[in-house]
Amino acid sequence: MNMRSPLARVLGAGSARQGVHHWWSQRVTSVALVPLSIWFLVSLLSLPSFDHWVVSAWMAQSSSALLLILFVLVAAWHSQLGLQVIVEDYVHAAGARIVTLVAITFAHVLIAAAGVLAVLKVALRSAQ
Amino acid sequence: MAEFRLPRNSRIARGVTHAAAAGATQVRAVRIYRFNPDSGENPRLDTFELDTKSCGPMVLDALIQIKAATDSSLTFRRSCREGICGSCAMNINGVNRLACTTPMQELQGDIRIYPLPHMPVVKDLVPDLTHFYAQYAAVKPWLQTRTPAPPDRERLQSKEEQEKIDRPAACILCACCSTACPSYWWNSERYLGPAALLAAYRWIIDSRDEATGERLDELEDPFRLYRCHTIMNCTDVCPKDLNPARAIAEIKKMLVERTS
Ligand code: SF4
Ligand code: SF4
Ligand code: FES
Repeated sequence: MNMRSPLARVLGAGSARQGVHHWWSQRVTSVALVPLSIWFLVSLLSLPSFDHWVVSAWMAQSSSALLLILFVLVAAWHSQLGLQVIVEDYVHAAGARIVTLVAITFAHVLIAAAGVLAVLKVALRSAQ
Repeated sequence: MAEFRLPRNSRIARGVTHAAAAGATQVRAVRIYRFNPDSGENPRLDTFELDTKSCGPMVLDALIQIKAATDSSLTFRRSCREGICGSCAMNINGVNRLACTTPMQELQGDIRIYPLPHMPVVKDLVPDLTHFYAQYAAVKPWLQTRTPAPPDRERLQSKEEQEKIDRPAACILCACCSTACPSYWWNSERYLGPAALLAAYRWIIDSRDEATGERLDELEDPFRLYRCHTIMNCTDVCPKDLNPARAIAEIKKMLVERTS
């Protein structure tokens, strides 16, 4: 039986004194994603064809490779921040919430690293 | 996980229909949520056929009339009947509002009245607001200072400074906003909700208050503050035309500004 006062329940374990960094990063990454995604779509669509060698040659240019890596990293970061919000909204059991959040972080680091590796491999191989 | 269905003992059954008195000329059906914790039964939806000619124009008038003439066990809160005490907040035709300032004429079709959503129900239209009030108390809704007040007068505030708190201070704590907020439905244990956050904001921007930093510290929390996702239901329903969503956005802005 929970006999704590209503105020004690609201105060709980106190303020985490964090959250502003998460909130602000979410805004900044979404702003960064606007030019990055426009650049990505416009560059892809303006390629003469989607043949393997055409796309690889485009990726081999330093500017494309650099922006693609940024795109992958920022998109993964933004997605991780967004999924964290959804989990915090809906997963109420503390244990399940923490495990899910850690799993999501791992998955995003993996996706980001795999994306960077893929860009580098294509770019460096085609550049030879 | 969040609950998307009512628990079994909260599902609403069909209730009884009280036919209009003979000779009634302007009959409207008023469907009202009924729940009596002592009966051990599930809640039900009763229908009262009301002769709107025989009562005043507002939804509260209808409730008072039904209680007086048809069913004295009908339970609801009211006091001022002029939109200033905040007691009569309920969900009327799907929207949280004050029964005393909602004209029946503005409602389409049958009138459907439920208690404020997602709160424990004490009886009929009376929700348990204990937690909601504790959240208000948690933001320390009073002036905090270190500078002693001038011995011979009140603490001064310019006209512009007063105007900043004029609107937020008009909140009547009716709970229409918080109980319309999906984030509050899912996480009210830890999310303070728009009403308490508006109250916190009212003291954060009070030029006489000297605890601004501590107040912001207390709010900077993934749950207390950042469960607000700017859905804006709060601002839509506020019967006093206040803007809790903007107050919350301002608090978030102040938290960013003090880090850079
Ligand atoms: S902000 Fe408006 S809706 Fe919310 S409690 Fe205050 S008066 Fe009611
Ligand atoms: S703006 Fe924030 S407080 Fe208002 S309804 Fe939306 S989530 Fe709730
Ligand atoms: S009775 Fe006071 S606000 Fe409706």
